[in-house]
Amino acid sequence: MIPVPLARLAADTRGRWLVGAFALTALTGVAPHLSVTGQRVEAVVVIDITGSMNTRDERLHGKPVSRLDKAKATLRGLAASLPCGSRLGLGLFAERRTFLLFEPIETCADFAALDGALAGLDWRMGWEGDSRIAAGLFRAIGLAADLHSDLVFVTDGHEAPPLPARGGPAFEGKPGAVRGLIVGAGGHSPSPIPRYDDRGREIGFYGADDVPHENRFGPPPPDAETREGYNPRNAPFGASAAPGQEHLSSVRETYLRGLAAETGLAYAPLDAPGGLVGALTAAATPRTRPVRLDLRPVLGGSALAALLVLFGLLPWHARLRETVSRLRHGA
Amino acid sequence: MTASLMALVGRFGVTAPAWLWLLPLALLPLAASAQTRIPVPSLALVPADGLSRLVDAVLTLAGMAAIGLLILALAGPHLLGESLVRTGEGAQISLLIDRSGSMNETFAGRQPLGLEESKAAASRRILEGFVGRRAHDLVAVSAFSTSPMAVLPMTDRHEAVRAAIRAIDRPGLEATNVARGLGLALAQFGPGAPDASRVLLLVSDGAAVIDRRIQPLLREEFAKIHPTLYWLFLRTAGAPGLGDRPAGEDTPQAAPERHLDLFFKSLGVPYRAFEAENARAVEEAIREIDRQERKPISYTERRPQRDLTGYAYGLAALAMGLLLAGKLAETGLATRVAAPRPAASRETRRAA
Repeated sequence: MIPVPLARLAADTRGRWLVGAFALTALTGVAPHLSVTGQRVEAVVVIDITGSMNTRDERLHGKPVSRLDKAKATLRGLAASLPCGSRLGLGLFAERRTFLLFEPIETCADFAALDGALAGLDWRMGWEGDSRIAAGLFRAIGLAADLHSDLVFVTDGHEAPPLPARGGPAFEGKPGAVRGLIVGAGGHSPSPIPRYDDRGREIGFYGADDVPHENRFGPPPPDAETREGYNPRNAPFGASAAPGQEHLSSVRETYLRGLAAETGLAYAPLDAPGGLVGALTAAATPRTRPVRLDLRPVLGGSALAALLVLFGLLPWHARLRETVSRLRHGA
Repeated sequence: MTASLMALVGRFGVTAPAWLWLLPLALLPLAASAQTRIPVPSLALVPADGLSRLVDAVLTLAGMAAIGLLILALAGPHLLGESLVRTGEGAQISLLIDRSGSMNETFAGRQPLGLEESKAAASRRILEGFVGRRAHDLVAVSAFSTSPMAVLPMTDRHEAVRAAIRAIDRPGLEATNVARGLGLALAQFGPGAPDASRVLLLVSDGAAVIDRRIQPLLREEFAKIHPTLYWLFLRTAGAPGLGDRPAGEDTPQAAPERHLDLFFKSLGVPYRAFEAENARAVEEAIREIDRQERKPISYTERRPQRDLTGYAYGLAALAMGLLLAGKLAETGLATRVAAPRPAASRETRRAA
């Protein structure tokens, strides 16, 4: 036997809406969360800190900045926008080696440390001037495999010295065993590379005579015979220095895409709209993390809707009906 | 009291402020009621009644509160997290770690075989234990080989520091350029917390000549920051110790370790060198440092953001409970005439 007031409540439209709203609101306290699984990323970021990364052909907030500064800003953005539970490590690339600064750490809890470390990156940390990208990339892949994490390799693809005629080193690992991104930094038109003295002060730009434009290790290229002053024994590469554009730098996108294809990584430009999160999440190994889905907005929203019907729609409707009936009866 | 209240209000925030545009909807109960409408020929029939007015006002307010609180709850109210500065026991520690190639050799000076531990692995193991043993230490990590590398800025996140320490037994680079490393490690202290105990812990297995031109700069920096300097010298077996004079000329080039030690002694800062020839000695040195460096340090305690959504929903439910009570107390005019109750009048009043 239902008590009379409750029965009346159930019989009344307004009563039902009110009970509904109350019940929905009360439910928010009972079942607030539902666990589902979400995506997280675990990657070691290896960043190229060689000389060509100082080229100022990137833009940040409308101002020209060096590729390294742009990369730092983008990576800080990446660290800030990855979902909590993601982990990023940091390493440097110069010469042909990668140097791990720290293993992946949590992007939310350890954010200040991660952000500070990214902000503190400097080309002056480099230990040698060479920039053998392919060799460095392969080592970085080995490092990431060792850490069981993915790889984000940020570089402009500018090999210095240039690759020999027979091409770069071959990748000996298993393509796709380590997943991740190669991020291409730099603009598409050749720009001068700043030059620094041994105390780290900028003293101008590299000129055409300051850098080798051709790698003369290994056998000469097939077209060497047509060069001026060619002699198979004394001058297999020709008699004059090869002209070239190696003192200018632009992002070697084709080369980097080739490396990405060879190693099973994905390629993304550094200035991809919306940052690197999308590209990295797509390329990274799917790792699940428990995410709590909050059901409260749904319940609360429905309760609010019920109250609005109760206080807004129903009275308005009733008043409308009354007016109509009054008009009809000529009152 | 008011100050703390103001601080509380200042920390209040919402996640999705757009919801708050709906707040005017909370005025709806002023125009309409949840109660059943009972047609009364004329309001003059109903006597004016103070209690009825009160109940009316309470129910209207409850309706407004219910809608308003639900909107607020949807906007995600919270108290922002805050950082409190507290004082504990600990130190600002700037770790400066040698990552030259020789660190990957054993204390016997060869490549580690089987179960043998390299100098880097031993320092990694021991430092990993050292960091985190004391909860309030702030630690910065720098590395050096040919060039100095800022690894981690001063942080209280020991998990991050351990991640950096775990990286130190990876293959190192060539040379040992201790001077620039020292400069960087000193820069890591930063301007904050001048009263805290500052510790510069240099872990290396060798030394290099500090350029005469850089020496005064370093001296100046040491005088300014005044850290306690510990040198954990991982001595390879058979290598000269800090006190050994070289057989020939006693120049920095001939005995760089001895001359670095002399340079450190001349700095005028508290300095102690530990010569460790094996992992156990390293452990003892670390324990000694642990014991020495216990001074008050101010550290920040982070209070996480506090979610107030639950409270908003709870209060909304309470308001709706009031409305429900109003509904339950409802009586009709026609049906319940036989049982007159004081409540009847209030409902009729409201019904108008």
